[in-house]
Amino acid sequence: MTFAPDEDVMLQVRDGAGEMLGVLFDRYQTPLFNFYSKLTGDRTLSEDLVQEVFLRILKYRQSYRPGTPFRAWIYQIARNARIDHFRKFPRERVFEPEMLPPVIPADSAQEQQEVELLQRALALLPEDKREILLLCRFQELKYEEIAELLGCQLNTVRTRIHRALQELRKSFHQLTQGTALKRANSAAPGNIPPRGGCREV
Amino acid sequence: MKCEQIAELLPDYLEGSLAPDQLRDVEAHLEQCADCSEEVALWKKLSLLPVEQPSTASRVRFEAMLQAYQAGRSNQPAGNPEWKKRASTASVFHWLRSPLGAAAWSAALLAIGIFTGLRLAGPKPPSPDMAAIQSELTNMKQLVVLSMLQQQSASARLEGVTWSTRDQHLDPQVLSALLHTLRYDPSVDVRLAALDALSRHSAQPQVRSSVVNALQEQQSPLVQVALIDQLVEWHDREAKPHLEKLRQSPDLNPTVRQRADWAIGKLN
Repeated sequence: MTFAPDEDVMLQVRDGAGEMLGVLFDRYQTPLFNFYSKLTGDRTLSEDLVQEVFLRILKYRQSYRPGTPFRAWIYQIARNARIDHFRKFPRERVFEPEMLPPVIPADSAQEQQEVELLQRALALLPEDKREILLLCRFQELKYEEIAELLGCQLNTVRTRIHRALQELRKSFHQLTQGTALKRANSAAPGNIPPRGGCREV
Repeated sequence: MKCEQIAELLPDYLEGSLAPDQLRDVEAHLEQCADCSEEVALWKKLSLLPVEQPSTASRVRFEAMLQAYQAGRSNQPAGNPEWKKRASTASVFHWLRSPLGAAAWSAALLAIGIFTGLRLAGPKPPSPDMAAIQSELTNMKQLVVLSMLQQQSASARLEGVTWSTRDQHLDPQVLSALLHTLRYDPSVDVRLAALDALSRHSAQPQVRSSVVNALQEQQSPLVQVALIDQLVEWHDREAKPHLEKLRQSPDLNPTVRQRADWAIGKLN
């Protein structure tokens, strides 16, 4: 039962087995929470929005049609929940990189620092660019699914992903240069690390 | 290959869906171009971002919400358990064959007929006629909404509520039908959807007062919580005494009482 595809579980929920929603909650609460928290930087709000998504699933479960990919459907609901929220409560604060969670120590100190900088660089992107990167990279939605979600052409999705990546690279660079400067001030001049850009892929 | 050409291929490269020859081109370019190869490196690193865990309270909240919902559903009056079975295409045909459905689609056919007729009669129909047709179409939509809201099947009524949200402007008759649905519809789903539809029209004075009144009448915890949330969203300070009264009801669901306390705090 636990391994039943999302779509089958959702059909059971639709047909009255409300308790089966718990299975979907367990599968999706962490990805959805991360989608929201990386987008808004606000943990409390992210938890509220996750609850809202599942309440909406219950409310509108009759509108779930067999054959609809559940992942795309739930992200549609998730996006709408967020849009409705900010329509009703215009935001009081913007995403501040200080609100980011600590990075779990990676294999090397350098890698850990890079991930931290990447997280900050992502937080600096405009929200739509951050969203598209999160959707395809972190939520692992397919380009077709994203196109449907955002209501645009597949090619537009490709272009937008590329633009978002370009901007991510630029803000990552600014940050690495900032860190390099700080280090240069505190360390011997010969120890300045190389620019973060030209590593092997 | 230049960066601009690679840019078109890069997203597919990242997704791993390039044809072998294109893949070779992209890889050759990446070896020479620091910027493009850095973008690819950042893309790969995105998967290393830490996964945050929601608090354990989140699951508890979800359980409480689900329980309140189930409780609300089992409180539904008997005689309606088969509404789920009706939620099929068959119910639509059933509805179309009912007298109201028949009236609605006859009106639809008539309107389409007149519309097509006018279109064919002259290339540029005079605008007063168009306006008449427009208003006829609006009236017809309202008729459809009104008749759907009176259907036996909950899913047809739910559809009716959804239809009502298609128009920015709410006809008074549809408004009063929605208010009636909010108060008396036997299905929790339909009542919740009606509240959702009504929340868009908070400028209308009857809407707010009906939501406040519904607070005392509703038995389903889920609807009660939704009503409370709506009042907080509107910052309706006048609702405070009603919330106080609600929280003193002897057999109130604890979750609802908690929510009412929270709302009273918010409205202070």
